[in-house]
Amino acid sequence: MAELQLHSVGKRFGDTVALRPTSLEVEKGEFVTVLGPSGCGKSTLLRILMGITEASSGEIVLNGRRIEALPPDKRDIAMVFQSYALFPHMSVRKNLAFGLEMRKVPKDEQRRRLDHALQICNLAAYVDRMPRQLSGGQQQRVALARAIVMQPSLMLLDEPLSNLDAKLRDSLRHDLVALHRQTGSTSLYVTHDQAEAMAMSDRIVVMNGGEVVEIGTPVSLYRNPRHVFTASFLGQTNLMPVEAGNRQARLPWGDVVPLESNHRGAAVVSLRPENLALTPDAAGHGEITAVSFMGAQANYVVRIADFNLKASRSGGEALLEIGARVAVSVTGPVSLLAETPALGRAA
Amino acid sequence: MTVPSLTSEPPRPLVATVLFLTLAVSVTLPVVLLVLWSLSGRWSFPNLLPNELSLDNWWQVLGDDGIGRAALNSLTIAVGAWAMAKVPMRGKRALEMFILAPSIIPGIVVGVSVGQVLLTLGIAYTTFGVILVQTIGTLPLMIRLLTASFETLPDELIHAARSLGAGPLAIFRHLILPLAVPGLMAGGLLSFVGSFEEFDKTFVTGAPVIQTLPTKLYTYLDPYSLQFPLAAIVSLILLLPVLVVFIAAGRIMRDDLMAGGMGKL
Repeated sequence: MAELQLHSVGKRFGDTVALRPTSLEVEKGEFVTVLGPSGCGKSTLLRILMGITEASSGEIVLNGRRIEALPPDKRDIAMVFQSYALFPHMSVRKNLAFGLEMRKVPKDEQRRRLDHALQICNLAAYVDRMPRQLSGGQQQRVALARAIVMQPSLMLLDEPLSNLDAKLRDSLRHDLVALHRQTGSTSLYVTHDQAEAMAMSDRIVVMNGGEVVEIGTPVSLYRNPRHVFTASFLGQTNLMPVEAGNRQARLPWGDVVPLESNHRGAAVVSLRPENLALTPDAAGHGEITAVSFMGAQANYVVRIADFNLKASRSGGEALLEIGARVAVSVTGPVSLLAETPALGRAA
Repeated sequence: MTVPSLTSEPPRPLVATVLFLTLAVSVTLPVVLLVLWSLSGRWSFPNLLPNELSLDNWWQVLGDDGIGRAALNSLTIAVGAWAMAKVPMRGKRALEMFILAPSIIPGIVVGVSVGQVLLTLGIAYTTFGVILVQTIGTLPLMIRLLTASFETLPDELIHAARSLGAGPLAIFRHLILPLAVPGLMAGGLLSFVGSFEEFDKTFVTGAPVIQTLPTKLYTYLDPYSLQFPLAAIVSLILLLPVLVVFIAAGRIMRDDLMAGGMGKL
C-alpha cells in the first residue's frame, strides 16, 4: 500500500475553489514533486497536508493512518520551508534537537540521530552557531537536518531552494537528491521551477488552476505530454495545429508524421525544439530568423508556413546564419495534446 | 562598494565635536548643578560656587524616615505596575481600546476620577491603590510594545514548531515567550521608569499617606520652604533608573540583533 494516499482531497473558500478534489498516491521512499505556477493550488495542497488548512472534503492516509483530522503536531510529517523557519534564539544543535525533545525521544537515541544528521548534512562544524551566523545555504541545510532527525513518514519540502542564488541552488539540489537516497524518506517537494522538478523527481505531479493536470515520470511527461499545459510548462516546445487521421498528422507545411493516436480531425501537437532537424537547403521551406548561441547548444527560430518554430542544434555544429534557407524534418516523437481541462475557473 | 555622497564631504570631526559638546553640556551641566546643590551647606546669590560644601543635606534626606519609605514605595509601586502589565490576561485584546484611552487623557484627570473610585472601594491612600492607578498609565505602553514584538514573529516559525511535534503550550514556552523577551524587557523598563517618576496620579490618589520620590520632591519644592539642596538630592536619586535603562538598553539592542535573525524570514 502506498505510504501517502490522498482521496478526493479538495478545498473551497466560499464560492471559490482553491483545490479541486485531488487523488494522489506516493510510494514509500519515493520523491514526488508537485509542480505548477503560483496560484495553481499546490500551496493549498501543502497546507492541507501540514494541517494548517482544513480540507473541505476527502481523506488523507499516511502510513496506514487517517490523518486529515489530526493537528499538525500529531501527523508525523516534517516540513522544510522556503524561509528556513529556523528558531532564531536556538543554536543549530538546539534547533535539531527541538523536535526530538518534543517527541520525547530518549537522550542516547537523540544523540545518535543528531550526529548522523549533522554528518550527512555536512554541518558538524556549525553545531554551536546561531542561525544568524550562517549563510543562506547553511541555514537551509540546518532546516533539512531538522526534518531528517525526525525520521518522519513524510517529508514536505516547500520551495526550499528558491531563496538561494543560482549556483548554490544547483549544488544544494544535488545534495538534496543524495540526501534523499541516503535517508530513503518519502518526500513531497513543491516547486514552480520545472528544471528542479525534472532533475530531482521520481515522479512529477503537474498542477494548474487548482487541479492536477497530469502525473508521470520526468521523462514521460517531457517526451509524451498529454496536455497543452504540461508540454508548454516543462521545457520549450512548439505547439502546432495539425490534421490527424490514419495514425498520422499533417503539419502546417505539408510534412506528415506518425502518431500514436487514432484521433481524426483537427488537433494540436507538441514538437520539442531538439526533435527538429535543420538542414541547409537552398530550396527548403524554412528561413532562419533568429540565432542564439548558448554554448552547449544553439537555438534558432525558423520561419516556416507562417509559423515561428523553435529549433535547437548541438553547439558543436557549424552555426546557421540569419536568412539561411533550411529544410525542417521531425526526428523525434510527436505527441497529440488535449487542451488542459478547466483552466482558471476558480481564480 | 561605497555610495558616493551627493554633497561635498562635511567636516566630520567638527560636526562630531559640536554635537558631543552640546550633548555633554545639556546632559552633564544640570547633573553637576544638582550635585553642587546637594552638597552645598550655604549658597548665596553672587557666588558661582557654594560657599561651603557638606554632606549634611544627604544625611538629612537619607535620615528622614519618609524618604526611605518613599523610595521603597516608588520601587514597590513601579515593580507592581510592571508585573501587572506583564501578566497575560484573558480578553486583554478586547480591552485594548478601553485600556488605551487613559494614555490620551491627562494623568491628573485620570487620577481624580480613579481616585473617586478608589475612595469608594476603600483602597485610596494605599500602596495597592497607587499600583492600580499607575498600571492604568503603563498598560497601554506595555501592550503596544508586546503587540509589536508578537507581530514580528513569523507564522512559519509556529508552523515549523508544530510540525516538529510541539503543542500550543510548548510553542508558547519555547518560542513565543523567549522571542518576546526583547519586547518584554523594553516595555518593562519603560513602564518601570514611567512609573518610578509618575507624579499626577500618585499625588491625587496616594498623597500625603503614600509618598513616592516624585511627590516627596514636590514637597521640598513647595513655595513656602523651597529646599533646593534637598530637592537636588531627590532628583539625583530619581536619575538612578535612567542609568539602569542605559545599561539595560545596551543589552536589549543586542537581543534585538538576535531577533533580527528573523529578518530573513
